[in-house]
Amino acid sequence: MKKRIQRFILLTSASAMLFFSACKKEISTPNPPSSYTGSNFNDLFDAFWNGMNNNYVFWDIDTTNWDRVYNQYKPIFANLNIYSDNDVRSSVNYFRQMVAGLIDGHYNITFPKSQLLSDSSIDPAFDRKRNTPGYHDPIPLGYFFFDLPKIFLDSGYVEGVDSTHTARLAVAVSGTINHNILYFYFNTFELQALYLTPGSAVQAVIKNFISSISPISPSVKGIILDLRGNGGGDVNDLDFLVGRMIDKPLKFGYTRAKNGQGRLDYSPWAPAIVTPQPGSSAISIPIIVIADNFSASLSEITTLAIKTLPNGKFLGETTWGANGPLAPNVYFNGGQFTAGTILTLSVFTSSTMFKYINDQIYEGKGIPPDVAVPDNLNSLKRGIDLQVAQAVSLINQ
Amino acid sequence: MKGMLFPKNLIILACFIPLLSHAQLSLGIEGGVNKNYLSTSGIQQAFTSYTGAYGAQVAIPVSYRLKNWLSVQSSISYVQKNYNIVRTGFFEGIHQNNKNNYIQVPLMAHFSFGGKKMRGFLNLGGYGAYWVSATVQGTEPNILNPVDSSFTTSQQPVNDFSLSKPYSFNEKYTFDSRKDCRWEWGLLAGVGLSYQLSQSVVMYVEGRFTQSLTDQQKNYMINQVGRYNQTYAVLAGAMVPVKIFCKKKAKKE
Repeated sequence: MKKRIQRFILLTSASAMLFFSACKKEISTPNPPSSYTGSNFNDLFDAFWNGMNNNYVFWDIDTTNWDRVYNQYKPIFANLNIYSDNDVRSSVNYFRQMVAGLIDGHYNITFPKSQLLSDSSIDPAFDRKRNTPGYHDPIPLGYFFFDLPKIFLDSGYVEGVDSTHTARLAVAVSGTINHNILYFYFNTFELQALYLTPGSAVQAVIKNFISSISPISPSVKGIILDLRGNGGGDVNDLDFLVGRMIDKPLKFGYTRAKNGQGRLDYSPWAPAIVTPQPGSSAISIPIIVIADNFSASLSEITTLAIKTLPNGKFLGETTWGANGPLAPNVYFNGGQFTAGTILTLSVFTSSTMFKYINDQIYEGKGIPPDVAVPDNLNSLKRGIDLQVAQAVSLINQ
Repeated sequence: MKGMLFPKNLIILACFIPLLSHAQLSLGIEGGVNKNYLSTSGIQQAFTSYTGAYGAQVAIPVSYRLKNWLSVQSSISYVQKNYNIVRTGFFEGIHQNNKNNYIQVPLMAHFSFGGKKMRGFLNLGGYGAYWVSATVQGTEPNILNPVDSSFTTSQQPVNDFSLSKPYSFNEKYTFDSRKDCRWEWGLLAGVGLSYQLSQSVVMYVEGRFTQSLTDQQKNYMINQVGRYNQTYAVLAGAMVPVKIFCKKKAKKE
């Protein structure tokens, strides 16, 4: 009897082990988009779709139904031939349709210059803006360099252009209005880099502004930071610039990144902090940021940091709506990636999601101004800058 | 005091179930440590791995003896199923420890064999569990709190925290109803030794393995990578026949 029981136990445990191993589900191993051969459109589609599925950081709030996109476009791409020029051109339209609704304001897809589609790019945020009623072109750079200083600035202002030390043309202007308002314009956040670059024509402009705020003269009544058309840049500039206007850390929002491959896998929200720079003191006079529909990325982050200060205000029009900071994919396991070989797609997208201290996420929407004064290109042509005029008036109130 | 009411009520209930009145019903207490692994694939994430983490578990087991060698056993258990996400190389120091608290109810066939005092046993069965709460603790790089000197120094960064300041967190995890699957079903197997300490008390130690069969996530996206808890536990406990409590209660009345 005992032996029978022991045999029964052995049999039961053996069959249980078999049962366990049979029940354990196979876990598929996802491949990074760069691992796909991209030898045909079916493979390229998988590389791109999965790359987006795992690396796009806004799935939590984006209304695009990515599974529906899969079901709709997978069969279409399966019927395209990657060696057919017509099919390659058609594929751009399909990719454009797939990503048309994505809210990431930074998002774009580009193709290498050597390829058939070198002139093509896909920029859903810009496409949407262009089709919005009331859309206007950006204020030309020349206005800030040639016209504005003559209209508003006191003599002695400094300005500079640098096209050799930066990835894109850098333009900056620093001076005073009515001898008691500091004015600083720059079109790209490469301030710290240019500040440290001897020989840059912009270095003197940045030094002029920095020296005028540290320390700030008691005769100064206010500061105007002109970020119109500024597309952002290096995140270190936030401390470099705003960190000189505060004497204690300024918490103004939060960021979070992906921490898993699922669309909804996120790290905890980390506080966005501006750190005061050595020797800085708190500036208590009004600081007005002028920004417009073409102020994007770090421009918007800077606008929000200034807006958080009790003496900070944002004047202008709703910004672009690209708030998510970027870094190469490896840093946050999310964001930008490339897919394909015969046809290569470079996908530029945020690595992290940003929310303001009031829990609002402005990605894809833009930051609404405290004081709404829209760009008016016709007025500017006549030498009337309503936004700067209103900023001066606010400071003089 | 509230916590005391539950076992007392259970005992009273057991005493009044006619079916069990003359049966070999035992009640006990059990506790131990476990190491849980999240069985998944994180291969696409650079320098990232999922590692097992230790946790605790306690239970109030109930056993109903059908034969000398066969019982049916269940319990109400609190089980931690923890795991860590760890980055390595340049990203050394970035980690997230996930502490997950489950209420778990196993149902097992308990096969025992051996002598009168010392007996070996094998538990085989399944379980249902509910993911009650979770916390996440760890350190991550804070992109909007950069290291200012990273730009001005000629010293190359030694790790990710040379570029972005670390942000340490320890917070309650907020469940996402779109993603998190809080019900878990699975299988378990355990082997152990029991010792008849006195006429009414049996002590035991057990090694138990539980394998979840349900994904920790709802099926919310195409090409989803599954996540399954695998828990290895070392448990110790004691069981006493319920009739002892019933007799004591009868005497009091």
